[in-house]
Amino acid sequence: MSIRKGKNYPYGIHVKDMKELCSNSPIEVMPSPDTVYLCMSQHIGAPANPVVAVGDKVKKGQLVGEASGPVSANVYSSICGEVVAIEDIVNGLGQKQKYVVVKNDGSNEEVLFPEIENRLPPALIERIRLAGIVGLGGAGFPTAVKLTPKSQLDCLIINGAECEPYLNCDYRLMLERTDDIYKGIKYVAKALNVKNIILGIEENKPKAIEAFKIYEDLDVVILKKQYPMGSEKHLIYCTTGRKVPVGKMPFDVGVCVQNIKTMIACYEAIDLNKPLTETVMTVSGYGINTPKNIKLALGTPFTDVTDFCGGMKDGAIKLVAGGPMMGKALVGLNHYSRKTDSGLLVLVDGETNVSQPTNCINCAKCAKNCPMRLMPMYIESYALAGDFVNAKKYGAMNCLECGSCAYNCPAKRSLVQSISMAKNKIRELKI
Amino acid sequence: MQENKLYKYSSSPHVKAKRTTRQIMVRVCIALIPALIMGIIYFGYMAAVLVALSTLSAIASEFIYLLITKNDFKSILKQFDFTSCVTGMLIGLSIGVQTPVYVPIFASVFAIIVVKMLFGGTGKNLVNPAVTGRIFAFISFTAVMTGGWVAPAIGSLVGASSINPSTGATILTNMFDAENGGMPMVSNLDLLLGTGVTGCIGETCKVALILGGIYLAIDGIINILYPMIYVGVAGLFAVALGGFDFALFLPSILSGGLMFGAIFMATDYTTSPNTMLGNVIYFVLLGLITTGLRVATGIETVSFAILLMNLFVPLIDKFVLHKPFGYVKTKKVKENKNG
Repeated sequence: MSIRKGKNYPYGIHVKDMKELCSNSPIEVMPSPDTVYLCMSQHIGAPANPVVAVGDKVKKGQLVGEASGPVSANVYSSICGEVVAIEDIVNGLGQKQKYVVVKNDGSNEEVLFPEIENRLPPALIERIRLAGIVGLGGAGFPTAVKLTPKSQLDCLIINGAECEPYLNCDYRLMLERTDDIYKGIKYVAKALNVKNIILGIEENKPKAIEAFKIYEDLDVVILKKQYPMGSEKHLIYCTTGRKVPVGKMPFDVGVCVQNIKTMIACYEAIDLNKPLTETVMTVSGYGINTPKNIKLALGTPFTDVTDFCGGMKDGAIKLVAGGPMMGKALVGLNHYSRKTDSGLLVLVDGETNVSQPTNCINCAKCAKNCPMRLMPMYIESYALAGDFVNAKKYGAMNCLECGSCAYNCPAKRSLVQSISMAKNKIRELKI
Repeated sequence: MQENKLYKYSSSPHVKAKRTTRQIMVRVCIALIPALIMGIIYFGYMAAVLVALSTLSAIASEFIYLLITKNDFKSILKQFDFTSCVTGMLIGLSIGVQTPVYVPIFASVFAIIVVKMLFGGTGKNLVNPAVTGRIFAFISFTAVMTGGWVAPAIGSLVGASSINPSTGATILTNMFDAENGGMPMVSNLDLLLGTGVTGCIGETCKVALILGGIYLAIDGIINILYPMIYVGVAGLFAVALGGFDFALFLPSILSGGLMFGAIFMATDYTTSPNTMLGNVIYFVLLGLITTGLRVATGIETVSFAILLMNLFVPLIDKFVLHKPFGYVKTKKVKENKNG
């Protein structure tokens, strides 16, 4: 359709975006690792059930974990080899999860899905479900569930904001695989039966905006460079002007938001008949020798990833899976790439903040910046006092955990941690 | 290669803005320096001595309190965030140069120990320590605090009233005094520069205060809107009380400690509301109370107004909250249905 500017949203923060570390390096394909560790729980919902046994030979693209419920996702082997273990492993996040460990045998045999006969919405959604596609932006919500809303939607929004600092994978994909993304978008729009397709891109990615200009039926919206522009609710507001009511989901305002990488996965599943076995992520930060954007098999150990990127520098003090604002810190390199990982950051002292929290001085910077217009300092103090009823009253459940509050806190308080704790407690105690 | 090195673990976000509490407080100290320099120029070396004494005694009392309670010296030094330095400077700058040296010491110790530390230290105090310390000194040593004002070294530029040194309060009294024709005795230019005007060390030169305020505003530490609301409302209320004589506007905003209080004391983070609307309410009320009390009592009331409004801040914060993004006004209806 057209290119237009998005609506302004006055609340949010401006973060140093650090994308220049590898925004110009093309996506490199990482060779298959010797061993992959396939997590059975790479998505929101029930973990997948392993359907292979130790000693089984598996090919690339063969089902190893079957979805165990309506909100769950299949897991496929990302290499060809032999299943050497099915065990609970403690990963870098400190979570104990079931993993299927596959040892590479060097051959590159691959199994594909059969060609889809009729490309009608039910068949497309079934293929997306079968391929184990989940929201690859980080949430990991099974895409097929998102594509079967209770009511007819009228708008599909593709999230090309990539507002997290450091990360470049969506940007690189938008440049390098523009056409594939477009095809994926068209399939998803067909599955949802919507005509109105909006692609939101932040203004700091002019090349990507240029690349998508040629498509007549995409409404490209240029968004302000602001964090958290990629948050679902804010993206919807800035592109369509609709406000998702508190406690409601995007489909309540007739919108479905999808990620760039998810679109590529959908394209590959439908046109190339490939299940989701690989992902693209950014390896960056001042603690890594050569920051890169890489395409890698799911389940690749992060030790292989850092080796592929020239190894880590001595000063590295923090590892983050995902972006620096919302990603999770890793205890060590004993982590294995999952569908939802869009980055591995190796941060050095000075880059990441490790200072101890001091007393809150009530400067209200957190409340001023909160994109959800909450009062983080009150939620935090109630959460720390164990008063979860009041924490909920002040809107703890509406928190996105985007980190805008803690980013600007001069007292360096761990606001997100406290609020997230309050959210868990509220869910647990059913307050 | 696969070492078992453990990395720093914490919740997101993993990058944070560089600014710390200490940096903010140091900047406030820097912003006070022009006022201090002008005070020294006008009132001589004793001004520097008084400010130094109050600052040092504020810092010392915080250290001593922390040493007595639990902490070792190194960790105190590491945690030292310059808030007590700001408090001490504010107290020193808000007393007259004729004040005996023990007054600022008493005021600072009271401000830090009683008003701040006993309530839990930085960020936990209910009222502004500097304001309360000043009021404590004002009430305890009324005679020496309010009498015997010293004329500044640089006399009035206009030459109208150099014989009758007047404080902000006397100007205000004169303003509403029918015998004077409702007009102040000091010219606006003198009030702005502080030449020929007696008063507290830091509050006479308004240019220096405005300079400090602009620095803080540019640096994003204070919102310049709030002091402007305070000063503007105070001035307009004086105009209204004086029978809409707009000649009263400038003298009333330029006299006394209004600028000083508006820029440096009322904007204190801890004792001002947390929302924009809350702040507007707070500063409008401050303006009204300041002028109202000035006219009613004839003494300088900025610090009393701030102290009074500080106590209302928790109330404002309880009722003035942000509406969450996507807020829908159906909550009450639902509650009624349930009930």
